Amino acid sequence: MDLLSLDLLGNALVSGLLLGAFYAAVTIGVSISFGMLDIVNIAHPAFIILGSYTAYIANTALGVDPILASIVLLPAFYLLGMAIYTIYDLAFERRGDASIRGLAFFFGLLFITEVALVLVFGVDYRLVEAPYIGPSLTLGPVDLPLRLLVPALVSLGLIGGLQLFMRHSFTGRAIQAVAQDPLALRLMAANPTRIKRIAFGLSIATASVAGAVLIVIQPVEPSIARDYIGRVFAICVMGGLGSFGGTIAAAMALGVVESLTSTFSGPSWSPAVAFGFLLLTLALRPAGLFGRS
Amino acid sequence: MAASLEISGLEAGYGAVRVLHRISLRVGEGETVALLGTNGNGKSTLMKCIMGMLRPTAGTITAEIDGTRHALAGLSTEAIVDLGIAFVPEGRRLFPRLTVTENLLMGAFRPAARAEMRRNLAFCFEVFPRLAERRRQLAGSMSGGEQQMLALARALMSAPRLLLIDEPSVGLAPLLVSRTIDKIQEMKTGYGLSVLMAEQNFTQAIRIADRGYVIVHGEIAFAGDSAAALNDNALIRSFYLGA
Repeated sequence: MDLLSLDLLGNALVSGLLLGAFYAAVTIGVSISFGMLDIVNIAHPAFIILGSYTAYIANTALGVDPILASIVLLPAFYLLGMAIYTIYDLAFERRGDASIRGLAFFFGLLFITEVALVLVFGVDYRLVEAPYIGPSLTLGPVDLPLRLLVPALVSLGLIGGLQLFMRHSFTGRAIQAVAQDPLALRLMAANPTRIKRIAFGLSIATASVAGAVLIVIQPVEPSIARDYIGRVFAICVMGGLGSFGGTIAAAMALGVVESLTSTFSGPSWSPAVAFGFLLLTLALRPAGLFGRS
Repeated sequence: MAASLEISGLEAGYGAVRVLHRISLRVGEGETVALLGTNGNGKSTLMKCIMGMLRPTAGTITAEIDGTRHALAGLSTEAIVDLGIAFVPEGRRLFPRLTVTENLLMGAFRPAARAEMRRNLAFCFEVFPRLAERRRQLAGSMSGGEQQMLALARALMSAPRLLLIDEPSVGLAPLLVSRTIDKIQEMKTGYGLSVLMAEQNFTQAIRIADRGYVIVHGEIAFAGDSAAALNDNALIRSFYLGA
């Protein structure tokens, strides 16, 4: 391999890893709702786009840094998630027909959110301004665009914080336990509905930050939510349901595979290679990379 | 610091089927009381009523815990556990994809138990050294005997005053049954518990029981005030030994 393609390889690897960290932030909410609660929230990417637009409003109207704005908005998204879970619980889960009707519910939420965003903002691409959009760090032959580096670090920070909460708090452990045996959870004096409401609130709260980093990385319009549905569930399953470490590893693997494919064979191949990678992983390790089986 | 339980005129069932008929029983402070009977006589139904998992149609369930009396009928399961009443259900109901330690820490979820968590964890590992060796193992990958130990220890982590155990011997090899019964006794004396234990293994249960009730077709057929009284009873002989 000549020097030029080594440079290409290095750059593709690095941008793949940075992109992967961002994919992990996009997926982490689904790792909670789908991986831990068994709730197939396919509307999650739509809430991420909502997060992009709230960061966009804060940025254009108030001149606030989009990522900072998304952190300030975490409680609002948390409450939104709790409200959605309350409706979902009353309408579906409590009656015992959550699986297919619940899927329809979230499918509906996906489109309602998307259409609402189109009605308010139109279909034009929107972008934000921040000092880290534009400049790059240079490490020898490798470029580290801050536009990717800052979102990657924010994403890893978000997931690290959640991981600490899940591992070391009583509520976090109860969230991991709730889908395994709700009755046993009651015997630990914990109310499963309350625990799930908190968990779903957290899952939607992550969409605020994930949305802000998304709009830092690329311009956003309402329908790109759908581009992320397949990728997000693929990463979640590939990493091992409910495993945050697995989510990061799978997201980075996918980021690198996509980045290498689009560097060396063109972007149109990257979804096929990415999903081939998913199938291969599941054939070799059905519980995912880090799944507890 | 102890607890007692008093059940009076309890009736319950599933739909039109009445399972329990005017059950009255008592667990005094610091006592181990055995609830004896073969399958299908209502032992588990009675346990579910006490724990708020099934609503009785008549009668009262009263627990006295550290000097305060509580009527249990109508309370949620969570609220009952939060009073300091722990339950080891039949089938153990562990969290299979959590580790041994994570299962134990889940036991300490109720606020009153969190303060005593470290001390209780040390006590559990002392009574069940095997759990200390396996603390990082997933609960679902352990043997039946180890899972029963973990279920008992997890119940203890909730810092209970009153411990209810449903069929601790089910699915265990004979040697493990007697070891489990010994461990229940060790927990009870070491922790100062009052215990109500439903069990069909009569010989094993009365080894540690102070008193016992025999439940037949949802009624208390015999109340024995001592292990000896249970041992000598003709009804029990015919019921268990076919004599």
